Amino acid sequence: MVSADRPTRGDRVFRRANAVVLTLVVAVTLYPFVNIIARSFSGERQIRAGEVTLWPRGVNLTTYKLVFQDSMFWRNYGNTVLYTVVSTAVAMVLTTCYAYVLSKRQLRGRTALIGIAVFTMFFTGGLIPNYVLITSLGLKNSIWAIALPNAISVFNLLVMKAFFESLPSDLEEAAQIDGLSTYGILLRIVLPLSKAVVATMVLFYSVSFWNSWFSAFLYLDRADLMPVTVYLRNMILGATGGSNAGAATEQLSQVGANIQSVTIVLTALPILCVYPFVQRYFVKGVMLGAVKG
Amino acid sequence: MKNRGQLSRRQLLAAAGFVGLATLTSCGSGDDGTDSKDLAKKQDGAMKEYKAGQQFRATEALSFSMLHNNNPVYPTKDGWLFWKELTKRTRVTLKPVDVPLADYEKKRGVLIGSGDAPFLIPKTYHPSEVAFVSSGAILPVSDYVDLMPNFRAKVKKWGLEPEIDSIRQSDGKYYLLPGLHERVRSGYSLSLRTDVLDKHGLSLPTTWDEVYDVLKALKDEYPSKYPMTDRWSTNTPFPCGALFQYLGQAYGVRAGWSYDNISYDGKAKKFVSTASQDGYRGMVEYLRKLVAEKLLDPEAFTQQDDQAVQKLLAEKSYVISANPQELVQNYRYNLKKQVKGAKIEMVPVPLGPAGPVVNSGSRLENGVMVSSKALDADTFVAMMQFVDWLWYSDDGQELCKWGVEGVTFTKSGGTYKLKDGITLMGSDPDAPKDLQKDFGFFNGVFTYGGSWELVSSNFSADEKKFQDGMAQRQELPIGPAHPLRSAEQEQATLWDTPLKDHTIQNTLKFVLSKRPMAQWDDFLTELKAKNLQQLVDLHNKAADRFEKENG
Repeated sequence: MVSADRPTRGDRVFRRANAVVLTLVVAVTLYPFVNIIARSFSGERQIRAGEVTLWPRGVNLTTYKLVFQDSMFWRNYGNTVLYTVVSTAVAMVLTTCYAYVLSKRQLRGRTALIGIAVFTMFFTGGLIPNYVLITSLGLKNSIWAIALPNAISVFNLLVMKAFFESLPSDLEEAAQIDGLSTYGILLRIVLPLSKAVVATMVLFYSVSFWNSWFSAFLYLDRADLMPVTVYLRNMILGATGGSNAGAATEQLSQVGANIQSVTIVLTALPILCVYPFVQRYFVKGVMLGAVKG
Repeated sequence: MKNRGQLSRRQLLAAAGFVGLATLTSCGSGDDGTDSKDLAKKQDGAMKEYKAGQQFRATEALSFSMLHNNNPVYPTKDGWLFWKELTKRTRVTLKPVDVPLADYEKKRGVLIGSGDAPFLIPKTYHPSEVAFVSSGAILPVSDYVDLMPNFRAKVKKWGLEPEIDSIRQSDGKYYLLPGLHERVRSGYSLSLRTDVLDKHGLSLPTTWDEVYDVLKALKDEYPSKYPMTDRWSTNTPFPCGALFQYLGQAYGVRAGWSYDNISYDGKAKKFVSTASQDGYRGMVEYLRKLVAEKLLDPEAFTQQDDQAVQKLLAEKSYVISANPQELVQNYRYNLKKQVKGAKIEMVPVPLGPAGPVVNSGSRLENGVMVSSKALDADTFVAMMQFVDWLWYSDDGQELCKWGVEGVTFTKSGGTYKLKDGITLMGSDPDAPKDLQKDFGFFNGVFTYGGSWELVSSNFSADEKKFQDGMAQRQELPIGPAHPLRSAEQEQATLWDTPLKDHTIQNTLKFVLSKRPMAQWDDFLTELKAKNLQQLVDLHNKAADRFEKENG
């Protein structure tokens, strides 16, 4: 604590250097965001001419109006919200249960259960077998094709397991003596004490579901089922793909650069809004999980 | 020794695979033998008499699944008039499986690989169908073109047999129903700022020598600028894909987007290496001169398209590659806002040593694959008739492109005109409806190819002028069919990629003067060391074999 009261010279230099470096990092990280936002409010011509950097040029709001009017965009946006909420809920229930079970050292076959989970970190069935599996389970074109295959992220599972292991076992024993069942212990004692890690996991899962596009692209066949990420990807990459470049010139007409920017801004917005509020748990949660008590 | 050991192991594996396949197919060949006869049992909904030029109408309501490329410019809608009109005329409902355009190939691969592919798989560019041939998942459609009178009539009328032969596989069959063009449609050429040329008393060039003179004259007027910049250098292994393609064509060689390690030499009547053709060297020397004299922006070979266009709009350059759409919708549209009095025009591809020629083989377009599972359906015959009508009949093509007469367009003589209030690719910015977005016509999945009258019916004045200029050119001779067997194909792929990389890298080095021209022969020797001759021989051998077997 002494050093905190009276920082040495070295400390001061270090802090300044730190501040400078971090400010630079922030600027570098922030620039693309600010640029995209500026683009989204700019005119197509100014974007094409490369005039837009930090501040909108040729301000226009018609692009926002245009995108707001696109029913497919909102439909896909709604899908994303739905998929994210349901998938995160499923993922949280399954991951919590699995992690809690694994944290009990007295459990027989615990190593095998961990092994099964960790195995999937290193080996996957591959694209086509996975597709065949999902299809023959009849999950295609349903929300479960997105929610179930990604319901347990092994990394998150291990973080959570470590966190549960760090809880003092005396607490649970006391609860047991007081007559709580196993589920009662989990729901009334363990979970309320694990808010930090739960919040972190919710954040991890929801961000990854919000951003994910591949399983939706693979397992869904209708445009109105797609999440907004697929819509966005198609809009940005679709018209600029190189494979057809030599052939069909009709296909080359591009979606306007400002429409792309508006869509990107609208898609990133919810995550940007939520992140700051969950972030404090996030740091705490990861730390707690990482250091076993 | 080691190598030989590996090879024999691979052969062993291949042999094992063949045995496996043979047993599989021998079970299947029972069906195969009866297939042609069994078509009699697959007549549900089919028309008894279906001829070219006749309206196809199923005898009962049918539906077929189809992979559908969902284009972000005109996203799929269920309510499109196209779907309704199609059902009304043919009693067929298409059930589209929507795939975002950005990843169309990937999903197509997964669906076919997992045996879950829809019956119809359009928007397939040759040679990407080859990858699926050995799996047996897609149908050798050549066996069933008897059911497709319009297709056969057009192939015959437009003399497309050599082109069709060029997509045959080693079993003599083809697996893709390609789009057919009556005439070659040229896409890309140079565009120049005509107002700047006029100002300095220069006229539009018609040969590459004149292009050089014009650029030189512009350089004298604006010594600090590069008179020409270029684009289409990203998303392609061969930078400046368009420029190399049409410049190479003027030298009688395939470069840029159409580059291939081997080319057919019409005079010698055999396949030769592209890079060792004299024309290839001529092309490289020409560009080298442009770059060395600072007439062509060296960044052209690396920059993004947007950067190139920005240079044009900011008047840092006056010459750039174009296609008719880009010319009108991008360059001219934006120049008008940016530079007062700016005019830009596209010239027919300037002539070079090869004379007035165009690359061959460009009369085939992307096309339709048919899933093997479709053959099991009782509606197979009707489906093939339907495909024939929709993609190959005049009426079908007109429906796909322009829609319904009186509703979306009117026609007088050979001229199509959109109804008031309907726009197509910005033709009428104030129109409330869009032919593609709101009606589902002019969809790239269905609309390509056809008679010159139909293909040219939507040309802008600029494109018409350009195409008319190009229409006089003679097509370079097309190579004979030379399909490789699957083991050969594997070997060829192993040789192809390093050869291609090396050729492209060094082409750029020579063009950018990073390598002296004196080392050109060394470069060719390096290619030889990478099995170039073996590759050429392999293809010539395949051509001989194909001719012997299929005459």
